[in-house]
Amino acid sequence: MASQPIITVSSLTKYYGDFKALDSVSFAVGKGWVYGYLGPNGAGKTTTIRTMLGLLKPDQGEIQIASINPAKDPVQALQSLGYASELPTLQTFFTGEQLLDFMGKMFGLATQARKEKIKQLLDLVGLEEWGDKKIGKYSKGMVQRLSLALALVNDPMVLIMDEPTIGMDPEATAHFRNLFTTLSKQGKTIFISSHLLDEVQRICTHVGMINRGRMVFDGPITQVLETFTQQWVIEAELKKVTKTMISALKKLDYVQDVKSEENKLRIELKEKKDLRGEISSEIFKHKGVLLSLNLHQITLEDAYLRALKGGQ
Amino acid sequence: MNAFQRIAIIVGYEWRRAIAKKKFLVLLILALALQVGLFALFYYFFTNPPPGFTVIGPSLEEVKAMMWLVGVLGPQSLFIPLIAIVIAGGSMSEEYERGTADILLSKPITKIEYMTGKFLGGLSLLGFVIALTTTLGATLAYGLFGPQESIQFVPVIYLVLLYANMLFFSMAFMFSEVFRRTTLSILAAIGILVASLFIDGILSTMYFISGGEQLYLEVSKWLPNWSVSNLPSFVASELITAPESPFVSMPGGDIQLAAAIIAVYTITSILIAALKLVKSDVTKRTS
Repeated sequence: MASQPIITVSSLTKYYGDFKALDSVSFAVGKGWVYGYLGPNGAGKTTTIRTMLGLLKPDQGEIQIASINPAKDPVQALQSLGYASELPTLQTFFTGEQLLDFMGKMFGLATQARKEKIKQLLDLVGLEEWGDKKIGKYSKGMVQRLSLALALVNDPMVLIMDEPTIGMDPEATAHFRNLFTTLSKQGKTIFISSHLLDEVQRICTHVGMINRGRMVFDGPITQVLETFTQQWVIEAELKKVTKTMISALKKLDYVQDVKSEENKLRIELKEKKDLRGEISSEIFKHKGVLLSLNLHQITLEDAYLRALKGGQ
Repeated sequence: MNAFQRIAIIVGYEWRRAIAKKKFLVLLILALALQVGLFALFYYFFTNPPPGFTVIGPSLEEVKAMMWLVGVLGPQSLFIPLIAIVIAGGSMSEEYERGTADILLSKPITKIEYMTGKFLGGLSLLGFVIALTTTLGATLAYGLFGPQESIQFVPVIYLVLLYANMLFFSMAFMFSEVFRRTTLSILAAIGILVASLFIDGILSTMYFISGGEQLYLEVSKWLPNWSVSNLPSFVASELITAPESPFVSMPGGDIQLAAAIIAVYTITSILIAALKLVKSDVTKRTS
């Protein structure tokens, strides 16, 4: 690992009665990473996060945030941590400003600093017009936005978010995606549990995948695509496909199989290599006219589904 | 920021949470209205006594001069314990039910500091409520019936009332943490209050039927309501030495025993709540 881990989860096991919710889950998150934590419903994502925050007691294993166990010393461990929960329910008797002020107090911010922070955060999450309104009057999306503002009130070094953009409109989702990228560039470590794989693929540097309480993958996002790409495929579109061309391609050492459909070819490779140059040369040898030639790379969604299948 | 500052923040939070509850406000208004109504009735009765009405023992003027005791001790019989239960019964459980316990306990605060803040916040609010009813009672007595005797003891009686009400307050607080359901916690605490009153009634009857069998009285002393109801009167009896004092009818009551019983119930309840909070997971939203 290049950077010093700021979150370390070691052999974490958690039971709910007889049900094993987490089974020896281990991973480490380095400083400045955007770590996407993926898994289907009930996989153990929220249990992991709540254990990381010291809300749940692990049956086995240990968690360290900035080298401090939050269950043993929550005051130190959680001082520079921000947390936005999944579908949050906030204290409806407060206004947005009052709740931000209260949370600021809990982090020991001075009165003037709180005042400035509240204005800044309400602007940041687009609730500047709603700050003096009771939270009971907020829509779900607005509560979600306020929850993110609350997570940022202490200018945290580590930001833990459980499905942070669920319930938000596409515009807000894009806004927060940009915000997370900006925060990451500022050196903050971001841990996101999400179902939105496209979102994770866009912003995360690293990915952890959990299924039925077990980690099925943990590594850089570039590695996840590599790991779960079982076969590299080149897709070619030609003006005309001939039998001799298909036969010649099949004879190549590095080609596993060639499938054709009208004027399209699907060339499955034996190696995980970009061999578009070699393939196009072979096609030109047989007077083929190429309209397009693409190396088909799997998406995070493909990798995720394959990882879950493997995990089962 | 030190532990005391963190506890103080939760105390302030708890006031906001409890005051926002309709149940609390309704009970408080009801208690104050009942107090005003009761004094209005007494005033009407004393100014328009039925023909032939005479007070046995003290004179009517002596009774009027001690009416502050009615105002101070009156709400204690039912409304103050009920308000104590309503404040404490939702203190911990409401945070679990709403899912806000996650938000609070994921901040830099220990579970014990959080619980202490919640307990002291609720207790100080109860103290404010008792101060309100006590002040109103004493003011009404003075305003309607003229100068009051021994009224200088109001602050002492106030402190005793607060101490006595810690019993049902801490019991409801314990249920709130153990059950993590507000309705269930309040019902359990009210159930114990009502059952205690009922059993006390039965034991008193048995005492009279048996011709003064002490065992019935001794057993009834360990019921939670006995000490809560009687300690303020016992202390008032000790303080107010006027021989014709019409409302303090229990001279020589066992103050130490009543105080000790309240302490036992309160400390046990707090310890159980703390143990449950520290040893168990913070449960997710339940409603």
